[in-house]
Amino acid sequence: MAIRDDFEVVAGQVRTVVQRFALGLLVIAAFGIMLVGKADTVLVEHARVLALDVASPVLEAIARPAAYANRAIADLREFASLREENARLREENTRLLAWQTAARRLENENEGLRSLAKFREGPEASFITARLVGDNVSAYMRGALLNVGRRVGVAPGQAVVTGEGLAGRIAEVGENSSRVLFVTDVNSRLPVLIERTRERAILAGDNSPRLRLNLVQGVAGVQTGDRIVTSGHGGSFPVGIPVGEVVETSEGSIRVRPFTDFSRLEFVRVVDYGVTGLVGPGAPSSPPAPPGGTAVRSR
Amino acid sequence: MRTDGTLALLDRWGRAALPGTVLLFFVLLTLAPLRAPYISDALPLLPALVVFQFSLATPERLPGPLLLALGVLLDLLLGGPGAPVGISALGFVLIRAAVVANRRYLVGVPFLFQWIGFCIVCWGFVALVWAFTTLWTWAPIDPVPAMLQYVVVIVIYPLLAPLLARVRARDPLNIPELSRGGARTGETTP
Repeated sequence: MAIRDDFEVVAGQVRTVVQRFALGLLVIAAFGIMLVGKADTVLVEHARVLALDVASPVLEAIARPAAYANRAIADLREFASLREENARLREENTRLLAWQTAARRLENENEGLRSLAKFREGPEASFITARLVGDNVSAYMRGALLNVGRRVGVAPGQAVVTGEGLAGRIAEVGENSSRVLFVTDVNSRLPVLIERTRERAILAGDNSPRLRLNLVQGVAGVQTGDRIVTSGHGGSFPVGIPVGEVVETSEGSIRVRPFTDFSRLEFVRVVDYGVTGLVGPGAPSSPPAPPGGTAVRSR
Repeated sequence: MRTDGTLALLDRWGRAALPGTVLLFFVLLTLAPLRAPYISDALPLLPALVVFQFSLATPERLPGPLLLALGVLLDLLLGGPGAPVGISALGFVLIRAAVVANRRYLVGVPFLFQWIGFCIVCWGFVALVWAFTTLWTWAPIDPVPAMLQYVVVIVIYPLLAPLLARVRARDPLNIPELSRGGARTGETTP
């Protein structure tokens, strides 16, 4: 009996101490978690992926009605400007038809020249279509969560594209979910080419809607309206995915507007390019299928 | 000892779990692709609002460890590579502490005062998170999106807070000491 009383007294004292210092303990715990996160990035990575996998079904359930609502709002807003939109599209259509003719002619010519030169194309890319189940947009990051993961072949570093152009790259992959880092994120660095001059550059995000172009060889002849495409340097991205166009050139800073409209993303495609990350020259890769109609003969 | 029926038990459990569940829901909602036009860049800090409002109404049902866990969850889900994990947890815990310490000025006062209180507390939260993230990543981070976020959540507060405040028991004397605020016995009874 006495022992039990003693125990209760001690337990009561412990409880009082814990209650008195509850705030301090919680603050210390929060700092502890932050320090552990800083020291052991692998552990945090695992925790992130786990949280992602657990949350993504719930998010997917929320995402569907949200997508409906977003679409309804967008429809309403477009309804107001239907006439102008129609005129603009008609004009664009005539322009694109002209481009299509040019593209067909060039494609034929290109094919012929490639077969003459026995040109071997890079590895064939395959696509994984994914739905955006979560936004990862905060004051400190630009990204999104996808409902595809390792199970269907998504791997870190793969390119994420939309119909308009490059959206970002895969940063983290769970079993059935993955996280995209948009090109506009402050951590994003992308090797690119200026399409017109074939000049190499690095495209950097800074969390704003515009991207910053850092030229490797100095500012030489970059003009407003120049298209920026991926250069494929680094290996994991295909060459020539459109990224954006130059909208502002002033001393020391060139601003690029991405083609992708990040506020309207619903579906994206993850490009599985067969190689991820830096790959040495002797790496095994399946020989690509020769372009249609041309046989590349190997001796 | 009073014996409880199943319904009463369910009722008690439901009451106890409600604030935590609502907070979890808002944590997940922060990630949902809801794109309000023009503010798509800066998602409102709804979890911070929920923590403030429930700390005001029923702090005993939103204990510190739970806030810590949900804050870490938010950081894990939302944070990019390199962002500090646990900063939201720290912010939540401090919001609760600030509210509980200043109950005298926040409970049983006109709504405007609660709003002003939220403006001050939320400012502290935003500043804390911004400063920590900047120091942690050692990179200059544009404070404008964080400010925008702050303004949006301040504007949203009057819309959401009365709804969340309904978890509070009707009679301020019929609730645990911690939630009672400055009310004394006989103060509110006619």
